[in-house]
Amino acid sequence: MQSANMLLKKILRSSVLPFATQHGMKKDLFPLSRTLSLSLCLKQDSSCSPSEKLDLDAWKKVMKSGLQEEVGEKVSESKELSTLAGAREILEMWRRAGRSVPENISEEQLKTFMECPSKSAKKKYLKFLHLKELYKKNDKRKMEEKRKRLETKEQAPKTDETRRNSFVCLWSSVMDRAYNWRAAQSMIFGQPLVFDMSYEKDMSVREVANTVKQIVLSEGCNRRSVDPFHIHFCNFKDDSLYHKEFIKHYRDAWGKLLITVTDQCYTEVFPKDKLIYLTADSPKVMKTFDHNKIYIVGSMVDKSIKTGVSLARAKRLGLETAALPLEKYLLWNSGAKNLTLDQMMHILLTLKDTGDWKKALEFVPKRKYCGFVNKPVNELKKTLNLINALKLGKRQEEVRKQFVKNYSKKLLQK
Amino acid sequence: LQPPEKPLQAEEWNRLRESFQSPEIFEEVMLNSMVKCNSPIDVAKSLLTHVAKSNGDIAYTLLVKYLALCVQHGQTSEIHDVYDIMKMRFKILDSGAYNLVIRGLSNSDQWRMALTVLEEVKKIMNPSRTNYESCIRAASRHQEMNLAFELYHEMLAKDLVPTLDILQALFDFSRGLKGAELQKELFGILLYLRENQIYPHKTFMWSIKLWFESIPGGNWRGHLTNIKDSGQCPVCNHQLEDSDLTEEEYNNLRERIIKDVIHGTDTFRKTSPQEFETFQTFVENRLPFDIVIDGLNVSHIKPRKLQCENLFDAVNCLAKKNARLLVLGRKHMLINSSNWKREIMREMQNKAEFFFAENISEDDAFLLYATLQSGKHCKFVTRDFLRDHKACLSDSVTRHLFRKWQRGHQIVLKKILLSVFIQQPAFCYDVVVQTTGDTWHIPYKDAFEEKYSYQIPRKWLCIQQKW
Repeated sequence: MQSANMLLKKILRSSVLPFATQHGMKKDLFPLSRTLSLSLCLKQDSSCSPSEKLDLDAWKKVMKSGLQEEVGEKVSESKELSTLAGAREILEMWRRAGRSVPENISEEQLKTFMECPSKSAKKKYLKFLHLKELYKKNDKRKMEEKRKRLETKEQAPKTDETRRNSFVCLWSSVMDRAYNWRAAQSMIFGQPLVFDMSYEKDMSVREVANTVKQIVLSEGCNRRSVDPFHIHFCNFKDDSLYHKEFIKHYRDAWGKLLITVTDQCYTEVFPKDKLIYLTADSPKVMKTFDHNKIYIVGSMVDKSIKTGVSLARAKRLGLETAALPLEKYLLWNSGAKNLTLDQMMHILLTLKDTGDWKKALEFVPKRKYCGFVNKPVNELKKTLNLINALKLGKRQEEVRKQFVKNYSKKLLQK
Repeated sequence: LQPPEKPLQAEEWNRLRESFQSPEIFEEVMLNSMVKCNSPIDVAKSLLTHVAKSNGDIAYTLLVKYLALCVQHGQTSEIHDVYDIMKMRFKILDSGAYNLVIRGLSNSDQWRMALTVLEEVKKIMNPSRTNYESCIRAASRHQEMNLAFELYHEMLAKDLVPTLDILQALFDFSRGLKGAELQKELFGILLYLRENQIYPHKTFMWSIKLWFESIPGGNWRGHLTNIKDSGQCPVCNHQLEDSDLTEEEYNNLRERIIKDVIHGTDTFRKTSPQEFETFQTFVENRLPFDIVIDGLNVSHIKPRKLQCENLFDAVNCLAKKNARLLVLGRKHMLINSSNWKREIMREMQNKAEFFFAENISEDDAFLLYATLQSGKHCKFVTRDFLRDHKACLSDSVTRHLFRKWQRGHQIVLKKILLSVFIQQPAFCYDVVVQTTGDTWHIPYKDAFEEKYSYQIPRKWLCIQQKW
């Protein structure tokens, strides 16, 4: 027994064990060795502290063993690391190091990755791909779960009771037909709404993709509305990036959309005095929605906040401009005043139907404002008076106190 | 999560792991906190051993974290081992691991090994500037100045911006060394500071001073001083370079301002072609001006006063000595309103030329144009830092020119008490590292004082050679 114990102890100490763990002998060996070594400890040298017995560098042996075959192939592949394969390898290491890097990356994505001009651009692009991958995975998982749930449901006994109904259940296609009917009507009688598609060179590829996505959403909500606009895509060039992206989204439906697409400018299609260019930089604020005017929305997503690009366009063509009265109705909190195209569409549709600013501006994202201004004109007048009084310097302290009082009251009202 | 103080047995690690809320990341979190608490290496080793024995492998992240701990403790042999293991396991490492290896090795007596690792990194990617920093420091610490400068030039060639620490190290370790080549290199660094308008901080300045004074047979003496407003150095009576641009620089800057700032991608963004043209003819017919004033900016100096009164005060303050003034404003100033009284406006128009731009145009661009067009003597008044216009300039050389020109030509009005304006004059000398061959003048920052980019240091190091 003693000699057997000694043998086991030797095995434990030597590098054979790591080798064994590599080859799946772990399970057979461990329970035995643990009990034995414990008893050994108790019997022989109960004074020994655990740290002395611990072989601290054992992990190195584990890491070094069982790797001979990989070392061999390493040598051949040291030169061509600047190529795609090299980039792929770098990405693999980044992923191992715990950075946000996608697991799978296509050849095309890898090329765009290598073309990124700076380190931070590369990092950003990878993070973008990584998140995209995560979302996709999550969606897939959810689909799977749903399918499983449905399967278990189907297995449960069905209550065989077909309801009697005078309609055949054909909801979606019927709705589609109704929507299309309305959109077709709008193409004859509807108020035009222009999307200015001349911003391609002001945007990055991703911004163009985002723009098109937003326009697709806008078109969808326009189609579903009670009284749709007649949408015009003006300055639209065939084979432009816009065009490519649209085809990606709509596929065959692109040819059947009930909108007007033209390469002409809106100034050629409509009389100039009827056009109003909507831009957040406009000095003029929109008061009411005019049913006889034609509003133009710039199809542009500018993530880098290029001020004045669309205003410059309107100035060049001598068009009237307008901005939404966001300040007047909302207590603005943070964020840029330019809204996404689908938010614009929602707002314009609501204005067209109801003319109610409060209702329309519900579509401004909630994070951007604190609340609605209740009595805009009164409030403004009061503060104006106060400011004037302050300027003239009459009983300054008193006025200021009053101002503070009023202001806190206003805050309380909120 | 508190890391244990002593190496643990496998069972103990297991127990800890199970008590942790999310056991799958236990090792990572544990190693992270070990790095944070600077735990003894043996503890980390025992954890790795435990992981290796139970999984048969150790994840790459864990190895990197362990490496970080080794670097923290300066355990060179351990760094070697980990690096070998990593090289064996993976074809290449990620930049974080390379960073650690290079840093760890360069601080040890095996610093040459760091250089070979740097070579390896170069094969795969562009080394970061911290990589270079470690190697340069290591080389210069061992007095291999040639090698250090070679690396330094290599990194400049790769468009990496050296940290001030690198530059300081080069000065520190060259102290007392002889050699014309070395001296040239270090002068080169000073010229690099000049070209990029970098101001050394106080400790760096001391390094420069000590190096100069240590040059064998150089007879350099350094003094700390403040330059007079006239631009004269009180120590050596040397007159500093004036802030004027050369003819060529001036023309270059003017063209770039018109091209990049006023026109940019679309002239309509800041003005319109017609408006710019009328402005151009307006300016041409009345040239030259002595002072160009940003009317709207000046009119907001004292919020308690009417805007036109503010402007009136400023014009009065500047209108002495027959100076020709141009005030830029916007059309809305002409409409009689509570802030803009017609009578006052009329009175001002007798004392200065006025140009009113459209309400949606940017008057700053006009300000720059009119000033530059008037010639080198012309100054401008605004409290604006003009950063957005500087940002429009497309290359850094022109941006530096702009900064220099701005320093020399921008007057800032300051209010004191209630009624009087005071001019803060533009500097008449250029605040930049400069030399005449036997003198050097180096502006430096106190580490805590000048922290804004528009603030210029007022303290100088004067170095002169005495025979």
